[in-house]
Amino acid sequence: MAAKFKIKPDLSIDFAGIRLKNPVLTASGTFGYGEEYAEFVDLNKLGGIIVKGISINPIKGNPPPRIWETPSGMLNAIGLENPGVDVFLRDKLPYLRTFDTAVIVNIFGYSLEDYVSVAEKLDGVPGIDGLEVNISCPNVKAGGMVFGTNVKAAFELLAAVRKVTKLPVIAKLSPNVADITDFARAARDAGCDGLSLINTLLGMAIDVRCRRPRIANCTGGLSGPAIRPVAVRMVWEAAKAVPLPIIGMGGIASGDDALEFILAGASAIAVGTANFVNPRATLDVLSGIEQFMTEQGQGRLSSLIGKVETG
Amino acid sequence: MRSRRFRLPSSRFHKATILDNKSVGRGYFRLVLRALEMSAAALPGQFVMLRVSENMDPLLARPFGISSLPSRSSLELIYRVVGRGTSLLTQRKAGDSLNLLGPIGNGFPLPEKDATPVLIAGGSGFPPLHFLSAKAGSRAHLFIGARNKDCLPPSGIVKSFRDTAAKVHLATEDGSAGKRGMTTDLLNAFLNEMERKTPIVLYACGPHAMLGAVSRIAAIHSLPCFVSMEERMACGVGACMGCSVAMKTGGYKRVCKDGPVFDSRDIEWSEQVAVKLVESR
Repeated sequence: MAAKFKIKPDLSIDFAGIRLKNPVLTASGTFGYGEEYAEFVDLNKLGGIIVKGISINPIKGNPPPRIWETPSGMLNAIGLENPGVDVFLRDKLPYLRTFDTAVIVNIFGYSLEDYVSVAEKLDGVPGIDGLEVNISCPNVKAGGMVFGTNVKAAFELLAAVRKVTKLPVIAKLSPNVADITDFARAARDAGCDGLSLINTLLGMAIDVRCRRPRIANCTGGLSGPAIRPVAVRMVWEAAKAVPLPIIGMGGIASGDDALEFILAGASAIAVGTANFVNPRATLDVLSGIEQFMTEQGQGRLSSLIGKVETG
Repeated sequence: MRSRRFRLPSSRFHKATILDNKSVGRGYFRLVLRALEMSAAALPGQFVMLRVSENMDPLLARPFGISSLPSRSSLELIYRVVGRGTSLLTQRKAGDSLNLLGPIGNGFPLPEKDATPVLIAGGSGFPPLHFLSAKAGSRAHLFIGARNKDCLPPSGIVKSFRDTAAKVHLATEDGSAGKRGMTTDLLNAFLNEMERKTPIVLYACGPHAMLGAVSRIAAIHSLPCFVSMEERMACGVGACMGCSVAMKTGGYKRVCKDGPVFDSRDIEWSEQVAVKLVESR
């Protein structure tokens, strides 16, 4: 019997100076701090983990109900509940560091100073490979999306964070804007090393019998497969507008879903809501990408980035 | 190089074969799943997350309280058909398999041998108490409340409660079965009259308003009280932060990871009840 040798496709990527063994990351807020999924997923197999957003002080979050299921998606208004940067560094990061995977810390604040303080605290901390700056959370009244929907505010914030850290800075952009490329350019001009998109789309659901919003915050962020076409389109637009590498996300649940983003111009992808549905979704996406590469006879994932044919 | 060793993937998430899925009356279905390790590990008060289909719509898994362990290798769930997800679930047949995550949560602390457990079930909150009553022994008193006769648990369940518990106390708001009135009034009268020869522990599962009322009764009688909380939930592993319950200490705790069973004194009932009243308006 003739042995059939197949060269394993090379899925590694240098993303903004962060070495990723493969392009599969976890979207912030959908994978906790890694430990929540460690019994289901060998975290060593992931390209990286983008942790749940961290602020300078602990945040309590919004009152329940916080989530509502929608067609092929869900609305959430968690309100960025998190234990604060000090507890993260003391209790969460040491555990994450025991794994052979990149750790990207998502940061946010209610003011420019908040963001800068968190970035300063994380700069030079061993075990952190990059910062993802959340300028796009739709569920808090101040900060978050306020920065992400105003080009000038976004630029100033990202430039201020850029100044206080040597880590790669990735701007997580909001889809709740008229033209995503304005914000991609603002991030580039501010000296960011990469982009993450998209965050959730602002949405609302109403219980018609009670005449009340389904979630206590009234509005929430829509995620899941329902938003994937919007996300792919925005990654495609942003990739054409700026040379920054992009982490594409929005409803990815399979290898083919991930490849849509890569062909649209993403260098890496993040699995989000699918983790809730299937705790092993990240590994399913990874094996789906590998299978695609083998089937297509593609040796290197990087040769597929942005290769959608639109002519 | 950092690289923590990964043990075998957890047996807490796998495909489970349906052994039985049939109507048991009053709008409820009884679903039995083959789940060897989960059955061995399951405790009363714990729950599972079940995906009703492989499709993306409906997207999320649904939480279901474990109502009993019919065998050493199976779990029983009794669910009320309330929406599209549970309607789809009724169409799944024996032999089909579903994605199952569990057992989830802390479960009820079991009563001491000499204690009298008092179980209070409201609405469709009886399944975890059904599991508990099987473990709590023949000293247990069971209170079941519903709007009317048709909203009671299926008759097979009521019978099974009668078989295991010392007494089943029924109340309906319209008096169509058992005593007329609220379960909580019945409970209060029972506690007033009961001789306190042995320690009493309250266990409750049902609508938040009822749990809040039971909690107040427990405080008046200075009794320990454990409530199983329900909240909308996406992941069941403590990551989505969706299933939050307000605590007296100021913050929120997660039903899936910190609960679903809480000491009733720890819960900030004003927030719970306020939210629920608004919802049911």
